[in-house]
Amino acid sequence: MQVCTKLIFSLLVLMLVSTSFAQSDDASSADESEQLKIAALEALMSSPPDRALPLVTKVLAGDHSDEVKTRALFVLSQIDLPEAQNVLLETARNGSGDLRLEAIRMVGIGGNEEALAGLTAIYAGGDSDVKESVLHAYLIADDSNSVYEIAANATNDEEFETAVGILGVMGASEELRKLRDREGVSESLIHAYAMSGDFESLQALATDASNPERQMQAIQGLGIVGGDEVNAALLEIYRGSDSADVKDAALHGMMVADYDDGVLELFRASQDAGEKRELLRMLVMMDSDAALEIIDETLSGNQ
Amino acid sequence: MINEETLTLYYYDDGLSAGERRAVAIALGDDAELAARYAALCRQLEQWREPDATKAPSHVVQRWHDSIDRAARAERVEPKKSGGPVHFMSFFWGAAITAALAIGVGIGVYFSADGSFDPPVDDLRVSVSADESMSIPASFTRGLQVYLQDSQSEIVGLSLDAGADRSLLVMQIIEQNRLFERTATMNNSPELARVLRAFEPILMRLASEDISPEDAAALRAQLAFELNVVLTKLARDTSYEAQTI
Repeated sequence: MQVCTKLIFSLLVLMLVSTSFAQSDDASSADESEQLKIAALEALMSSPPDRALPLVTKVLAGDHSDEVKTRALFVLSQIDLPEAQNVLLETARNGSGDLRLEAIRMVGIGGNEEALAGLTAIYAGGDSDVKESVLHAYLIADDSNSVYEIAANATNDEEFETAVGILGVMGASEELRKLRDREGVSESLIHAYAMSGDFESLQALATDASNPERQMQAIQGLGIVGGDEVNAALLEIYRGSDSADVKDAALHGMMVADYDDGVLELFRASQDAGEKRELLRMLVMMDSDAALEIIDETLSGNQ
Repeated sequence: MINEETLTLYYYDDGLSAGERRAVAIALGDDAELAARYAALCRQLEQWREPDATKAPSHVVQRWHDSIDRAARAERVEPKKSGGPVHFMSFFWGAAITAALAIGVGIGVYFSADGSFDPPVDDLRVSVSADESMSIPASFTRGLQVYLQDSQSEIVGLSLDAGADRSLLVMQIIEQNRLFERTATMNNSPELARVLRAFEPILMRLASEDISPEDAAALRAQLAFELNVVLTKLARDTSYEAQTI
């Protein structure tokens, strides 16, 4: 093991002090040189962090390709030393182009609280790519509070919607509810409730007829959440409403939730020929086993 | 001289040939000091061993498969929106699978051996949290290493031509990745959870059928490198732990 580590160091030192590889005018040789450097970086992970750190830092500061530096950033993210996180944050602040975006991602992977806090200022001063990278870094670090702060302080709808979408993916129901109290309900919030599986919030909106459009979105969101309580709620919404739109949305929700038993129940209970046709169509669309049975019964005159 | 690493491998019945195992067994019978060391090691490893995860009941497995199917159906019926800054449908797909897999992972942790404890699904989902006082079980680390090695091989061999086969294969890797990410969270390993989470956007892009072969090659190379680095780090840490027992 020690012999192996020494070999790795020798290889890296050779690579770092010599620029002859990179200066080769032979394209394939240059490519081989790149691959060798990348292999050396990879092997560096087997050495102790305090010995690997200065070498990786040197690669970042050196005259290497973006690809090599991108790989070095990842190695840095895997070095469990605060100094490594500082270098990442510094690159996230002052790097350029894709390297900067990669450094932001690596801060998320590193998960260091101070470095993550440093991303707030980078978000505020960054363009749309930087902002998106910061949000993804928070997603990687599972830092829902920072995403909430971004959503709560968003200066435009797009920023708000993006942050809310990330909260939905993170399953951050608590933060999403706080946003509703603060900002009111929006379509993006309803989508996020569906993504985070927040049945209670969706049910409250799905049974509130004061805003029909919002109600439809919430009913469909229930279908995405799925499960027994959603099935029961969708049946109740369907039966309890006189609105064709609400009934349609509830059916749509049942289709998404794959609740063909509920549709079958409605079919059997219905006395309205038009409604029965709609329900049968839905069962066929759902590829339900019950559909054939009902078709057979209908053709035999039993329905 | 039989070292701690060999004894650890012997304990886990892992990584030793039949001949090597026989040699260790004979040495344990002949050498009282070695037998004492091994007994102490066993006690320590027993303390770290997590409760046996039992196979999920079929109805629960079916439920989580259903969740994945629902996500697919919702994606098909969802009207397309224009101008979104983030690929939310990809995230949405992923979120649904995550929720489903969270249930699946939770099963292994929460079901007792006789299957008597069957908490509601929602309880499983909210119970996914790391206990800082726990150490990382060796079986999880080994399972993760196997997953990373397999994924690395699959990714290196991945076709650069866009197509349904590549997408399907990468989506399968994504599913496993999410499973291990959740398991890492539950096994007191947030740093592994983060790095696995970070693989996902790259995998998502690789699963896309509308990227060029050049872009696919770049993503493939990046993933292969990052998987290798994580594997090397895991091997280093495992080796260090074995030496310090």
